[in-house]
Amino acid sequence: MSCNSSVIRLCTSSVGQAPQAPVHLMPCEIEHNGPAQVNQYFTATTKDQKQDKSVSFRGRGLKGQEISCPQGYTGLVLKEINKPGSDQEDRTVKVSSVFDKMTYWNLETPPNSDDTIVMAMDWPDLAEAIHAPVDD
Amino acid sequence: MATKKKRTSNVDNDSWVVIAPGGTEITHFLLFSFFFLNPADAASLYMLGCGDVMLYEVKAFEDDFHSWFVGQAVQRDGRLIFVTPLDPLFLILPYLIKSGKEEKFQRVDQVVKDEEFPACSRLLSCARTLASLHHIAEEKEVESQMYHRYSQEKTMNWLKKKVERTVIALKKKNVSVGEGVKSSTYVRVKSETDNQEEDFIRYSHGLISEYITEDLSKALLTHLGLPELTSPKETEPPSKKRKLSDKPVEAGEDYTKFNSADFARKPPKKMTAAQKSLAKVDKTGMKPMSSFFSPKVKAEKK
Amino acid sequence: MDLSPFDDDNSVSCRLVSEIPEVCKTEDCCLGIDEAGRGPVLGPMVYGICFCPLSRKEELKDLKVADSKTLTEAERENLFEKLDEAKSYVGWALQILSPNTISTCMLRRTKYNLNALSHNTAIDLVQYALDSGVQLKEIYVDTVGPADKYEHKLSQRFPGIQVTVRPKADSLFPVVSAASICAKVARDRVVKGWNFTEDLGEVDTDYGSGYPNDPKTKAWLLKYLDPVFGYPQFVRFSWSTAQTLMDSKAVNVHWDDDEEDGEKAAQRQSNKSMLSYFSVSAGGNDQNATHQAHRFFTERRLKSLNTL
Repeated sequence: MSCNSSVIRLCTSSVGQAPQAPVHLMPCEIEHNGPAQVNQYFTATTKDQKQDKSVSFRGRGLKGQEISCPQGYTGLVLKEINKPGSDQEDRTVKVSSVFDKMTYWNLETPPNSDDTIVMAMDWPDLAEAIHAPVDD
Repeated sequence: MATKKKRTSNVDNDSWVVIAPGGTEITHFLLFSFFFLNPADAASLYMLGCGDVMLYEVKAFEDDFHSWFVGQAVQRDGRLIFVTPLDPLFLILPYLIKSGKEEKFQRVDQVVKDEEFPACSRLLSCARTLASLHHIAEEKEVESQMYHRYSQEKTMNWLKKKVERTVIALKKKNVSVGEGVKSSTYVRVKSETDNQEEDFIRYSHGLISEYITEDLSKALLTHLGLPELTSPKETEPPSKKRKLSDKPVEAGEDYTKFNSADFARKPPKKMTAAQKSLAKVDKTGMKPMSSFFSPKVKAEKK
Repeated sequence: MDLSPFDDDNSVSCRLVSEIPEVCKTEDCCLGIDEAGRGPVLGPMVYGICFCPLSRKEELKDLKVADSKTLTEAERENLFEKLDEAKSYVGWALQILSPNTISTCMLRRTKYNLNALSHNTAIDLVQYALDSGVQLKEIYVDTVGPADKYEHKLSQRFPGIQVTVRPKADSLFPVVSAASICAKVARDRVVKGWNFTEDLGEVDTDYGSGYPNDPKTKAWLLKYLDPVFGYPQFVRFSWSTAQTLMDSKAVNVHWDDDEEDGEKAAQRQSNKSMLSYFSVSAGGNDQNATHQAHRFFTERRLKSLNTL
């Protein structure tokens, strides 16, 4: 029987070839999807002091920290290819890049373990506890 | 200072930042929407992977005012999407319970069936499903054909094990579980450590309850030997939850857009295939499921 | 004047100092304070102090230091040389406030305005002179804001020292003119040899005076506008000139403390919940159909998705 609710096909066979990309979670909404001179403006001016990083974006001071993906997990950046003209068609998504750590940035506040994104990283381990098969 | 510009909506989003299990061994995923437990709820997105062998849940870390830099590009959508394993038994449970009313052994492929939602049969192809059905059902083999009958007792033991395992994980992660459990009608007489242990169990129970019906959730609480705290509403009143987040919990979410009422009356102009199937399901197909679960829910609300 | 400490990291505030003349530690001294580069949208703002024994005030006058604004760049460099030659009795100290410092301070969540920033910088420099053993008796300050309040503030802060805050002090008191020359020379040199931390390749340095009304500055600001990042750190983002250009030519960026945005967002949210309320009462559907997630999820801003 065909699965009429299938909506998105995700081809991750290209994961192996997908390039590693540095990813930054910014504390602001940037109304743009597309190219940006991240290396030239952002990476080049980022300062690394021990654990903590600092930089400014649009004249505002940011403080950042690198966090790793939870153990056993991989970061994927997915991109939709060939957006279907009709909503009856399946959508297709491919992996455009991969990452194993990311940097998240706070506006002025130094990063700490109570930051929501850090706490959210607890979820995969908890999900494992809730959902892994129960021993007999 | 110059005036601030109005925020527009992000209509052309075509990329997502995701955290998913494993690395290169992931080969093929299929994402699909599925009504879970309460058809009046917004449907949740699930994912089948590795040729239907694994089932996953999809959640998003979503905080206002965030965007990503990915390599040399901006991705406006600042969500971080988590793909985590989901025990298929949680999705099969409602079907088994429903058929369990008839109190006879049945073939599971006859039970986990939904005209309007054929995808549910795929749950049976998840690697662990058939092998683990005995956790929630009695099994009988007749002429090399397996038959199952829902067992509340087995299910309770199965859920209890999950609660216990979750407690361990919560402790390991140093999750703060304390302040959530408070009741005026329930006076504590136990020691501080006992209290703490109970807080952990209640918290785990709350997490597991996200995946089971209200009935099962209550039964599980009894099974765990914990007194019910008047009503779940009073245990964790919405006002208290609001304090934990910066904004009203209901308001930040898009539920309303996919609310069944909205769909029934005025479907969005452009629906995805999934949404269409959802709309369809809402009108007719899920009725049996709905009548099965909603009386409890409705009684609870008023 | 060795600017290398600032050039090493021109994103922060940096202090440059001369040696303290021995005579300043034993004799009563006067001290002048002035600033350079308050108005420009480009480059740092420099605060300068200059000090000498009261007894040598006249000698300073003989050096013919005058208001730095009336001098050419070459004349200022020349006068700075002369001050340097007089280092046996004249000392100075500078605070270079990088444009990035100015931007991030002024755009801070709790706003820190330029006057407060200037006053605190001046106070820190005076304190530095005192800490270095300079026997301060008189302070002369050029001011932009209201003189009375500033004079009161400084007198309170430095009891026992006679404080004179006066508009155009740099043309009235040679010690202020000297401070003004030090500050202006430093700013000119920094702007001229700005070391762009951004990886922009060869940057056109024909940015004019840096004042927003200078056509050269304006042209430069148009040329070097990046749609996402706005500008290199050489530009003061907090200046309305930069803001206006970014508003019209760069992509919009929204922060959680954008007041108007915050209001709008709140409005949007309340609209949404009102809407859902009405749709519920009209449709007769269960109002509480939306399930309230466990606090583990709400505390972590984790939500179930219904579509990608």
